[in-house]
Amino acid sequence: METIKTEVVVIGAGPGGYAAAFYAADLGKRVILIEQDKRLGGVCLNSGCIPSKALLHTTKIMAEASESGFRGIHFGAPRVELNELRAWKDGVLTKLGGGIAQLAKARGVEVLTGRGRFEDSRTLRVESASGQQFVTFEKAIIAVGSRPALPRAFDLGNPRIMTSTEALEIPDIPESLLIVGGGYIGMELGTVYARLGSKIVVVEALGSILAGADPDLAKPVLAYAQKRFKEIRVNTKVSKMATSGKQIKVSFALADGSEKSELYDRVLVAVGRVPSCDDFGLENTKIERDEKGFIKINSRQETAEQGIYAIGDVAGGVMLAHKAHKEARVAIEAMTGDSSEFKDIIIPAVVFTDPEVAWCGLTETEAKARGIAVEVSKFSWAASGRALSFDRPDGLTKLIIEPETERVLGMGIVGAGAGELIAEGVLAVEMGATAADLAACVHAHPTLSETVMEAAEAFYGHATHTYSRRKRSHE
Amino acid sequence: MDVKLPNLGEGADSGTIVSILVKEGEEITQGQNLIELENGKAVVAVPSPVGGKVGNVLVKVGDKISVGNVIVVLEGAVGTASKLSEPSVAPVKASRVPGIERTEQVAAGEAEQKSLAEPALKDSPFPPPASPTVRKIARDLGIDLRRIKGSEHGGRIVLDDVRSYIDRLQKLGSTSTKASAKPAETSVAAVVSIDFSKWGTVTRQPMTSLRKTISRRMVESWTTIPHVTQFDEADISGLMELRKKHKAAYEAAGASLTVTVFVLRALLDTLKQHPIFNASIDESKNEVVLKDYFHFGIAVDTEAGLIVPVIRDVDKKSMAQLARELSNIAVKTRDRKVGLEDLVGGSFTISNQGGIGGAHFTPIVNKPEVAILGLGRGVLKAAVKNGKIEPATMLPLCLSYDHRLIDGGSAARFIKDLLTALENFNEENLKL
Repeated sequence: METIKTEVVVIGAGPGGYAAAFYAADLGKRVILIEQDKRLGGVCLNSGCIPSKALLHTTKIMAEASESGFRGIHFGAPRVELNELRAWKDGVLTKLGGGIAQLAKARGVEVLTGRGRFEDSRTLRVESASGQQFVTFEKAIIAVGSRPALPRAFDLGNPRIMTSTEALEIPDIPESLLIVGGGYIGMELGTVYARLGSKIVVVEALGSILAGADPDLAKPVLAYAQKRFKEIRVNTKVSKMATSGKQIKVSFALADGSEKSELYDRVLVAVGRVPSCDDFGLENTKIERDEKGFIKINSRQETAEQGIYAIGDVAGGVMLAHKAHKEARVAIEAMTGDSSEFKDIIIPAVVFTDPEVAWCGLTETEAKARGIAVEVSKFSWAASGRALSFDRPDGLTKLIIEPETERVLGMGIVGAGAGELIAEGVLAVEMGATAADLAACVHAHPTLSETVMEAAEAFYGHATHTYSRRKRSHE
Repeated sequence: MDVKLPNLGEGADSGTIVSILVKEGEEITQGQNLIELENGKAVVAVPSPVGGKVGNVLVKVGDKISVGNVIVVLEGAVGTASKLSEPSVAPVKASRVPGIERTEQVAAGEAEQKSLAEPALKDSPFPPPASPTVRKIARDLGIDLRRIKGSEHGGRIVLDDVRSYIDRLQKLGSTSTKASAKPAETSVAAVVSIDFSKWGTVTRQPMTSLRKTISRRMVESWTTIPHVTQFDEADISGLMELRKKHKAAYEAAGASLTVTVFVLRALLDTLKQHPIFNASIDESKNEVVLKDYFHFGIAVDTEAGLIVPVIRDVDKKSMAQLARELSNIAVKTRDRKVGLEDLVGGSFTISNQGGIGGAHFTPIVNKPEVAILGLGRGVLKAAVKNGKIEPATMLPLCLSYDHRLIDGGSAARFIKDLLTALENFNEENLKL
């Protein structure tokens, strides 16, 4: 049996894991990257961010085509060939996954395909189709990610009950699709299937969809969904699911205490994600997990076992690829003796619904909850020439501002392309910019980025494309 | 704003909190009492210099605080022009920038340095406005950005602000060093070389390491201890009679019965009555350390310079033992054969110049001791005894002491008792 010695081993080649492996290699470390999947990239690339965005993009064309008749452009009914759609999507994933493999090779990062398991605090056993190998290491980074939660009550072994992983494969276009969970995954995939023609019912246990987003940002998304989905049912829980021929019989516990059951062709369960570090040999180390199973870390990504770090979804917190990426950098820098900490870092959130929602820094809801005095300066896209030029006035850009210093503490956007626009907000908040700074920067016309500038100008009461009685002088 | 313990007068620069008279969230008026402080002399109430709403109470009953310590943080303080308050954060503890910690302690309450101290910034739930690069630099240097006032719009901190903050700290650091416990290096550093040969031939010699040590210790003692020297003269005519009477027997026992031996013994009895002279100040804890042992340093004049070996457990030794030890250690010292262990742990020092000559002088306290006794040459003088002028051998006594710990009255009482012990020396002590 072969034992490989390395300085750094990274387990999991998702956006956290491969970023960590590459960075460590760039800093001159000998690095082994272990991934059980043949295609690198993790959940993000294979069954998350990338495929969902590919499907959202493709189906958006259908939605826009069908809605352009009143502008004088008429299309016939689209013909959807799922095999071709899947093949195109898989082509994108293969290209990206291959790219990561090439980048690994160029850096001399050795990729082991197999499942890693801790034998002790300095040894991993890697099981692959061709046998097993042992890897002894000086430092390890755990980046094994998460998987969709499937509550046992729903796990009937029936493929008609899907998680996001299966739903992204588009096995068919169901006539009726129930989506359990009105969070971002449920709403994004609901958008895809609605455009493909499924009748969508979203059921959410909480009082609103997209919990976490400010209500004024979630509102246009809800308006869109109410028009294109069959129904959004809040304050409702699914109590039971059962196979009923080629359908699923779903029982609901309604807010008023009554029960009702309905038949669906397919069900998508999108009730959150759980860490995928079971049967990982963690018990052979000092690593500790919290009550939800996430690996406990400190602000330097260090686990309870000296020399082992955890990053990304498995380390808890918001489960976002870009958060994992930042944590990878913190972990490697901490490992190499830098003072880096994951502290006071602005993590933007983007929901790729129609329209998109994005925010960063302090939200209005959070400011209220924490009793922080802020001023919120808004600019409606109804006054944006660019938004009207593509017929999407249903957008809003707002800034959360500290009144005394005029500092931008947060930004929230809803509207087409909000995910691209939020970058300016992240920069502003991270740099400690003030509303005056944003207002002073020239924003190209006609672009949606002008809404950021106008929201900043609105704080002083002199945005060009909106009128306010309120006036406030620049300092 | 931070309300700090003001200076309440002499000897009242610190104390123990016996009660807290305000609550967090309470609106208080200017002059309202915040706490009661016991400072050894009395329990005093500490009033607030301004009115406002009590944000944080940073002390609790039983806390020992001193001038400059923050008692409470007042929000919306009335009576100050600035709407901003001073940072309520503790000084950087594990600072990696040399001098910061000391600087911040020294800076408190010193009006002259106030203009140099950090600007006041409000406590925000958000990280200070600065770019990630600047925050990284601050983290690497152990600088709390909340203490820096940014020069950009909205108080944004840029690299120049960090730079000028460090400059300011360095300036403060050097200012405070001059006033602090390590002035030797500073004064040496400040001295310029003078060309004495301009006025005639000179010979230059390197300073020996012993001379450097003496220099450093003398400067430290002289600059940190407020010295007072109490003079008196003891009539040792009787003592000299006793010496003459017992000298031969002592010599037979291999001991030289000198005046210093008598003084050692008399001093022991006096110190037992006045333990504060056999004490030290623990400056780091602001505590007085009273010693149950009596280890006397003996200043010995050697060719190389002054050396002070220590005679241990004076209270457990007979005068003959002391006499033998005294001559042994003097020889050993002059031969430079004393070890480091012979030079440490003294609780009181005696400097006897009588063998050479001279009368009163002002010895310097051998820090961390708090007092030193200087002896001049005993000479025959005309003394008035029972209304008649008689010749008497008078011994000049010079008691220098640390006025931080010892008051003038105590010193007068001490020297009076020492005089009595010498003038009425108990012959019992001389038994072999």
